[in-house]
Amino acid sequence: MAVSIRDLRISFGDKRVLNGVNLEVERGQIVGYIGPNGAGKSTTIKAVLGLVKDYAGEIRVFGQTIGDGDGGYKRRIGYVPETAEIYEALTAQEYLTFIGRLYGLDERTADRRARALMGILDLSSAYHSRLSSYSKGMRQKVLLISSLLHNPDILFLDEPLNGLDANSVSVVKDILAQLAAKGKTIFYSSHIMEVVQKISHRIVLLNEGRVVADGRFEDLAKQASEQSLEQVFNDITGFHEYVDIAAQFVSAVDEVVG
Amino acid sequence: MKEFLSLWLLDRCSPILERLGCDYPLLRAILKVKLTMDARRVPTIMRKSRVTKPPKSDRNSLIPALVVYVFMGLILVPFVLMRGNYVFSMSTAFAILMVLVLMSMISDFSSVLLDVRDRAIILTKPVPERTISFARGIHVAIYLSLITGALAGPALIAGLFGQGIEFFLLFLLMVGLLDLFVLVFTALLYLAVLHIFDGERLKDMINYVQIGMSIVMLVGYQLVGRSFDLFRMHLEFQAAWWQALIPPFWFGAAFSWLQAGAHGVETVIMAALSIAVPAALFGLYIRLMPTYERRLEKLAEDTQRHTGRAPWLLSCITKLVCASREERTFFQFSWLMMAKERDFKLKVYPSLALALVFPLFFMLNPVVSGGGHTMPSGKAYLYIYATAMVAPTFLQMLKHSSHYKGAWIYQVAPVIRLSSIYRGAIKAALLRLFVPVLVIEGLIFIAIFGVPVVPQLVLAGLSISVYTVVGFWLMEKDLPFSRPFESRPAANRYMVFVLIFLILALVGIHFVFTLVPFGTSIYMGILLLLNALVWSWGFRFLDKPALTQQSGMVARE
Repeated sequence: MAVSIRDLRISFGDKRVLNGVNLEVERGQIVGYIGPNGAGKSTTIKAVLGLVKDYAGEIRVFGQTIGDGDGGYKRRIGYVPETAEIYEALTAQEYLTFIGRLYGLDERTADRRARALMGILDLSSAYHSRLSSYSKGMRQKVLLISSLLHNPDILFLDEPLNGLDANSVSVVKDILAQLAAKGKTIFYSSHIMEVVQKISHRIVLLNEGRVVADGRFEDLAKQASEQSLEQVFNDITGFHEYVDIAAQFVSAVDEVVG
Repeated sequence: MKEFLSLWLLDRCSPILERLGCDYPLLRAILKVKLTMDARRVPTIMRKSRVTKPPKSDRNSLIPALVVYVFMGLILVPFVLMRGNYVFSMSTAFAILMVLVLMSMISDFSSVLLDVRDRAIILTKPVPERTISFARGIHVAIYLSLITGALAGPALIAGLFGQGIEFFLLFLLMVGLLDLFVLVFTALLYLAVLHIFDGERLKDMINYVQIGMSIVMLVGYQLVGRSFDLFRMHLEFQAAWWQALIPPFWFGAAFSWLQAGAHGVETVIMAALSIAVPAALFGLYIRLMPTYERRLEKLAEDTQRHTGRAPWLLSCITKLVCASREERTFFQFSWLMMAKERDFKLKVYPSLALALVFPLFFMLNPVVSGGGHTMPSGKAYLYIYATAMVAPTFLQMLKHSSHYKGAWIYQVAPVIRLSSIYRGAIKAALLRLFVPVLVIEGLIFIAIFGVPVVPQLVLAGLSISVYTVVGFWLMEKDLPFSRPFESRPAANRYMVFVLIFLILALVGIHFVFTLVPFGTSIYMGILLLLNALVWSWGFRFLDKPALTQQSGMVARE
């Protein structure tokens, strides 16, 4: 079992963010981890990465309870944060070798791997430029590379396709599929349901701090008797008013401008 | 990335750090990245004058700042050379040093102490927490020692030659303790604020502290000018219980005890406090470090608080001062941008504080005013013109924003007259930033000179209003909030000098009118007419040379 979460509860002050999340993920799975804003997706990921310390319940990564060791389990995890935090003042070379070193690679190895991966994603010429000059898509590629430099076994990707063009999206999707085929576990978090539906082996839907649906897309679709993940999503989160809201919106737009 | 001297020094200490439980290679890697990033950042005190170098250059932008600090530190030299009453001279020296260090600490290291990116980037990696804490601590310590080194450097050298080696060593030790005190004090202060309020509030608070500091500094320097009088007065300086509450006195007492041989119980106790308090605070800091890290999470959360300020007030003012609907739009837009943007406030409010202090500063400072005799007797209210010295600054700041990319709205909006944009924005800046300062200053002046001074103050206000438009004509024009804060064309610097000289001309004209009979009324009439002219016609020229040229300026980004 790559990741196992039992009865995870987290609250910030009075606000209860997670109300008992249970999740077991095996190797080689791509898990589409979805839910409305504020459902607790990022918080779950932060807890697994050790960013949130005050939690009740149990989190195990490859059988090891995460609070036990010195955080060494993080060596097996790669992470692309939703907020795309990055040290912009550094060049890609400086940033990536730094991240590699944090993951325990030596500087030369980190540099070699980073250069190779940047080259494959067509960023060789920008390797020595500062990240502040990068476009959104280029930054996203750097983030993806930084999460894979140390060849991790588990990947947490929060909106990893943000800002990528269509060609790059195809490349990244295929990268993920091939990584999973090699036995890596991927947590894929996104609001773009089409992509989640297409690449995930399994879909976990979170709502109000609880897992409300968990299974293959085909099963979920059958259960909810819907065609697409987007519809399943609206169905389970109890959101049916979208047609009404759209109608209201359009009629407000159409109102005569005074 | 280049190598840093500080890291080379740190390498010598690596066995100790290893023994303390740090992963030294990792610690070094983190610090190297941090120092590299800092070297590419422009410190607050250099922002005023420097044009940012193209990003390629790896010159350490901290070095020019350190030179400035060395000059600032010269002020300490006379105190260090004084003999006899160490309690007074050294307490003052330490008070000044403490304020300066605390100021640069809060204005330049808030970003280090409060970096939330570290959480996503470093904490998610397999780096032991102890190493991260040490990295943060050492990072701040490196900077703190560089800055205090620069600030206290001249005084230390003067102490070495003027007072001998013993004094020097004691001074060095005390400066170290002072650093420790300031570092821990700042961190605990942040912790307290984060505990009680949220991150946004803390950022606001840092903002206001920075503003407050620039005032304190100015007033502090003003006091130094007169401190020799104080020195004469307080020659019989005795230790009193309340002094134990004021940190600089602890350091002064240590000198008094160890150098001048004062053996009073109070002196010894206070000298002991200079070691005990920093040590105790440091212990507290170590214990609270994990809590601190946790609190930082709060900063990362985006909890915006909305204060329901009465919008009718704004709309009343808008209707009062703007004629066209287009202009009103930009007036309100600029008003709200200035109210909401923290970066803008950070850059502009300190200069407003200066505007408030300048007139008093010139009036009170015996060096500048020559004991109050340079300004003809009875005309000292003309010092109110000193507030106008900051007008060029805020005219210049008006074009900057940290969200400058939002300026695309100017280009997509259909047919806007540039005159409306600029007139609206400048009116908003005048009313929101400058008028309050002028009113407060006016009240102070009325308190000093009495009610008869009111017409003169009104004259000054009207002439500053004209002056603002003239300043706008002379300065490079860019659409409001359309440029990043870093880019500041150097050419404007000379224009700022021209504009400051123009103020002297205004003072001269005003002065001449006070000499002729009915001068006040005549001048009032002229100024009202001029105001009407510049505000209604003064922006027309913008509309003719076509919008394209101006939007080209925005597109340059």
